[in-house]
Amino acid sequence: MARTAMAQETICALRRKIARIEGALPERLAAPEEGESLVLRRYGRPEGAAAPMSLAETGTPRLDAALGGGILQAALTEVIGRETRDSGIVSGFSLALAAIASRAGAFSAEGARPVLWVATADILAEAGFPYAPSVEQFFGLTPDRLLLVRANRLEDALWAAEEAARLGGFSATFLELRGNPARLDLTATRRLHHRARDAGRPVFLIRHSSEPEPTAAPTRLLVSPAPSSLRETLAGPLPRSIGPPAFAVTLARSRTGKTGTFTLEWNPHDFVFQERWPTGERGSAFKSSRGAQDTGGMATASFDRPDPAPPVRGGLAPARKERRAG
Amino acid sequence: MGIADARAMHPRIEIIEADPDADRRLLESLADWCDRFTPLVALNGADGLFLDINGCAHLFGGEDAMLEEIVRRLTHQGFDARAALASTPGMAWAATRYYEGRDRNVPAGEEEHALAPLPLAALRLEEKTRFGLESVGLRHVGALLGAPRAPLARRFGSMLITRLDQALGMIEEVISPRLPVAPLSVERQLAEPIGTREDIERLVLILARTLKGDLERRGEGARRLQLSLFRVDGAVVRIRVGTSRPLREPPLIARLFQERLTALENSLDAGYGFDLVRLSVAVAVPFVMQQADFSGHASEEEEALSLLADRIRARLGNGAILVPALVESHVPERRARFAPIEEEARARPTGTTGPLPTAGARPIRLLEKPEPVTASAEVPEGPPLSFRWRRALYRVARAEGPERIASEWWHEDPPAPTRDYFHVEDMAGRRYWLYREGLYGETAAPRWFLHGIFP
Repeated sequence: MARTAMAQETICALRRKIARIEGALPERLAAPEEGESLVLRRYGRPEGAAAPMSLAETGTPRLDAALGGGILQAALTEVIGRETRDSGIVSGFSLALAAIASRAGAFSAEGARPVLWVATADILAEAGFPYAPSVEQFFGLTPDRLLLVRANRLEDALWAAEEAARLGGFSATFLELRGNPARLDLTATRRLHHRARDAGRPVFLIRHSSEPEPTAAPTRLLVSPAPSSLRETLAGPLPRSIGPPAFAVTLARSRTGKTGTFTLEWNPHDFVFQERWPTGERGSAFKSSRGAQDTGGMATASFDRPDPAPPVRGGLAPARKERRAG
Repeated sequence: MGIADARAMHPRIEIIEADPDADRRLLESLADWCDRFTPLVALNGADGLFLDINGCAHLFGGEDAMLEEIVRRLTHQGFDARAALASTPGMAWAATRYYEGRDRNVPAGEEEHALAPLPLAALRLEEKTRFGLESVGLRHVGALLGAPRAPLARRFGSMLITRLDQALGMIEEVISPRLPVAPLSVERQLAEPIGTREDIERLVLILARTLKGDLERRGEGARRLQLSLFRVDGAVVRIRVGTSRPLREPPLIARLFQERLTALENSLDAGYGFDLVRLSVAVAVPFVMQQADFSGHASEEEEALSLLADRIRARLGNGAILVPALVESHVPERRARFAPIEEEARARPTGTTGPLPTAGARPIRLLEKPEPVTASAEVPEGPPLSFRWRRALYRVARAEGPERIASEWWHEDPPAPTRDYFHVEDMAGRRYWLYREGLYGETAAPRWFLHGIFP
């Protein structure tokens, strides 16, 4: 018994050591110590660069908790889609994460930095090109700040992404490729991660029709399609309509060691995620979770009509009363 | 003489068919090689080269030494070359072809004397003119020089007089060089040929340092640079890089060539090495000095970005970096397409290209070419119930649409069929953008296409 305890302690100590070397937070530690982040900070960091451990909240408490406070702003984040036909969902989710991670100098801000999207030629042919007007519509990234690099070979794509990550002049760098190439091993991903960390900018590794494998990315997310909710109108949800983008996300790796499955919905107006509870009917659950948080005009416009959503949770009614009183 | 006659005389003769194209290529590669002597090299007919060596001769130890050097080097390569040097192209042409014995340098002012004993063919005349002259007993240029000019011109055409004057230097004759002359170039002759990439890179840095002074004096920066590597055996490799802003700094120039050389690693054949390396500025533009802001951050960052863009282009090719080119159009693929960064800057209209007033939902990814799908719809004009794309079947759970996008008849002739777009979601939650091409009645059997993928 004593021996196992000793072993555990040794493992813990080693883990802390590794974490320190990798620049990641020790397990289950809420925030970095001040000294640590100072040591990690380098000279010559671009203006407005994120500190190595800074986090951006995704807007969903459960996901934020699992991520240890939010998405890392200066790290490699891996987004995996199992099939190429889900390319829209996977790239949309990555762009959403990037929009959140670069919130400090958000995509939508005036004079913000451009975004570099590096993709191999085969994936562009198979999954299509990013469509600039839509990228602006959903994620607030104006077309003049979107740069696309089309590389014929994987090595070239990796090189371009590494150089861009090192530069730190982009608000986000995407590296999009297909499958599980042998070249993209632990070493290659560690290089990407370290450059992202040193430059203080996020790098997103988008892998289509791929299986999760060990990489150096501190965060790995598996994205698959999820039915969207109904479109919200002033007169309530519109039947048979298609609402905002929805994603079924599995957190496969995180700094905290926690994993989980989430159904997220992207709000293209506020650039935040909203979680949809797995239970409950399509549309209604979303509405109730939103109704509890939202203080916009939508709820007031419909408060005297019968609520189409059945009262699934008790928390809803008091919230409404409070607002009416206020 | 036919082949049969030749064989009868020399049974062991070797017959090789004429290949004018190969001859041309050889001559062109020779012209490339001659670039090492002067940037002004012109092709002359099928078997000659003009080299304008104005201001170059002193680099090779004077005119005679240069002439000798050229012929010696060509002989070493296995060519039976003849060369002559004169003040006019016409005189040089004549001396090359019609002097017996050694190669000659005709001093300026002695053209008349040198031309006199040569046959009429030395004047580059048309065959008809030459026969005409010979039929009246004029067989040497000397005979023409003494003859009255007016009757000659009347009888044999003005071309004869022009050629005569060109050879004598009374009319200026210009040769048209094959390659544009670079405004600035620096080069280094190497006693010991180099072949490794590192050596070339180091040399580029040295040359770029020399170039910097010249560029500064002219107040210019380079927008396009060319590195010419002259191989010992005569082949010339030219490597070009473009920059997005005027460039002067030697390390940056060296960096760009480093990327390009890395990309060329396998295709760059050094052979026995390069013995002459030349760095030239192909396009130079005024260098505008800009006052940076107080922190210097913004301009530095912008500079770093454009340098990265240049390096990516140097390594991955010119079309590697794409930016959205926006056009005010309702046809989705025309509205925004990715174009190479240079092309886009040129094509960008001066007007605004803001968002279109009424645009429905657009997919996040647009396929380069809409892919045909087989779809079945409940009602002819309605959304599809199910469709098959890339061999997989999708059952449509919900659909929005149609959004009708008519063709832009002012662009297309004949106009493309009208499209009815549907935003559909399948049972699993995948969202796609499909369209039916052509209205019922407009076309016999409308086809379905998948055009985009929604997030």
